Amino acid sequence: MTTVEIFVGIFDGFRITATVTALGLLFAVPFALIFGVAQYLTKGAAHLAVTAVIEFWRSSAVIILLFVFYYVLPVIGIQLPAITVAAMVLGLNAGGYGSQAVRAGLQSLDRGQFEAAAALGLPRGHILALIELPQALTRMAPTFINQFIQLIKGTALVSLVTLTDMTFRAKEIAELEYNPVGVYTSLLLAYFVVCYPVTVFGRWVEQRSGGRKGLTNEF
Amino acid sequence: MSDGQSMRQAASWPAEIGQQHGARGPDQTAAVEAAALNKWFGSFHALKDINLAVPQGGRIVICGPSGSGKSTLIRCVNGLEPFQSGTVRIGGVDLTRDQKQLQKIRRSVGMVFQQFNLFPHLTVMANCTLALRRVLGKSRTEAADIAAHYLERVRIPEQAHKYPAQLSGGQQQRVAIARALCMNPKIMLFDEPTSSLDPEMVKEVLDVMIDLAADGMTMLCVTHEMGFAREAADQVVFMDQGSIVETASPATFFAAPSQERTRLFLDKMLR
Repeated sequence: MTTVEIFVGIFDGFRITATVTALGLLFAVPFALIFGVAQYLTKGAAHLAVTAVIEFWRSSAVIILLFVFYYVLPVIGIQLPAITVAAMVLGLNAGGYGSQAVRAGLQSLDRGQFEAAAALGLPRGHILALIELPQALTRMAPTFINQFIQLIKGTALVSLVTLTDMTFRAKEIAELEYNPVGVYTSLLLAYFVVCYPVTVFGRWVEQRSGGRKGLTNEF
Repeated sequence: MSDGQSMRQAASWPAEIGQQHGARGPDQTAAVEAAALNKWFGSFHALKDINLAVPQGGRIVICGPSGSGKSTLIRCVNGLEPFQSGTVRIGGVDLTRDQKQLQKIRRSVGMVFQQFNLFPHLTVMANCTLALRRVLGKSRTEAADIAAHYLERVRIPEQAHKYPAQLSGGQQQRVAIARALCMNPKIMLFDEPTSSLDPEMVKEVLDVMIDLAADGMTMLCVTHEMGFAREAADQVVFMDQGSIVETASPATFFAAPSQERTRLFLDKMLR
C-alpha cells in the first residue's frame, strides 16, 4: 500500500469521526450553556448540585466513562448504540469544560453591565440573554474553539468501543500492512487535516466579532 | 362595594399623580423620599439614618469626601444596592425587593454611571433602543425615532451607527444619558458622571445636564463639580461618614455653610 492508499483507507473512518463529533456537540453545547449559566446564577444547595454534575463529567477519565457507559448500562437494562454512548460521554466531558468557560466568561464581565441593564428595567432573563451572554460568549470564543478541537481528537477513543472511526481504520490497516510507522504517521496527518481548518475558522470568528467593537479592550 | 372601589382609588392616588406630574399643577408627592435609611456593608455602617426628600422638578447635588456614602445612597434609590432598614419611596411607591415591582420603578428612574456602562457589543442606536423595545414593547421604527430624538438632544446624532469603543469618553457619557432619557424617566440619577472623563470632556457632559435641569427634569446628582452645583442645583446636600451633614441652597452652601465639616470640605474643594 502506498502512503496515499493508507491515507485514503484511514479516511474511510472519517464519517464516524465526524458523526461522533457532531453528535457530541449536540450534547456539549447545551450542557455547557445550561450548566455554565446555572452555576453562575445559583446559590447554596442548587449551586452545589450543579457543580457536582459538572465535576462528575469534567473530572472523570473519558476512557473510563466510555467503558462504564458502554459495558455497565446494558447490565442495568439500558441498551444504547455505541455511537450514542460515545457521543454522550465525549460530549458531556467537553460540555463540562465548556460550562466553566461560560461561567468564567459571565463572571469576567464588568458588574456595571448588569447594573446598567437592570437600571433600565430589563428583567433578569433579558439581561442574561441580551447583555451578558453575547459578551461572555464572544470573549470565550477562543476557548470554545480549543474545546471543539479537543472533542474531535477525543473521538479517537471510540475505536475502543467497536466504532470504525479513523483510528480504528488505522489499526486495521496497521495489522494488515505491518507498517506501523507509515500508518500512524498518516493517522496523525489525518487528524491535522481535520482539525487545522477549525483553528483557521476560529481565528476568523475571533477577528470578525472582536476587532471592530473593541471588545478585547477595556475602556 | 362602590365604597371599597373609591377607597382603592384613593389609596393609589399618590402613585398615579407621581406618574403624570405636570398634569395637575404643582404636585405634593416627593419624587424621591428616603426616610430613616440605614445600610451596612458587613459591619461597616455606610448610611446612617438618611432622610432626604427630592420634590418633583428638584435638582439636588450630593457632594462629600470619598467614602461618605453618596454613591451608595443614590444606588439605593433605584434598588441597585439593598438596604437594611428605613424606606425609599419613588413617586410615593415603596421600594421593595420584589423584582417585578423593582423593574417597574426602574423604568421611571434613569441612571447614569461613572464608568458609562454602555453595552459594548451594541451600536449606540441599539444601546438606546434595547429597553424601549424589550421593556416597553415599542416597534423597531418607533424606538429608533425616540432614540434619534434623544441622541439629537445630547448633540450626538451622527454617531448612532458606531460602537461605544469608537467614541470618546464624553461622547460615551452623552450616549449613556440619551439611553436613560429614552425611557422617559421621571427622575434622573447621576453617579459621578464626569469623574472618569478627561478634563476637556467634562464640559460637554455638564452642558447636557444643565440643559436637562433647565427643562425641569428631576435630578439627583452625585458630583464633585461645584460649578455645576452652583449653576444648576436648587439644593446641595453634603454627606460625610454616612450621614447627611448639611442641606442648603447653593448660595448659602457655598457662601455661608453652617457646619464646620462642610467648611473644611469646601476649603479643600475650592482651594
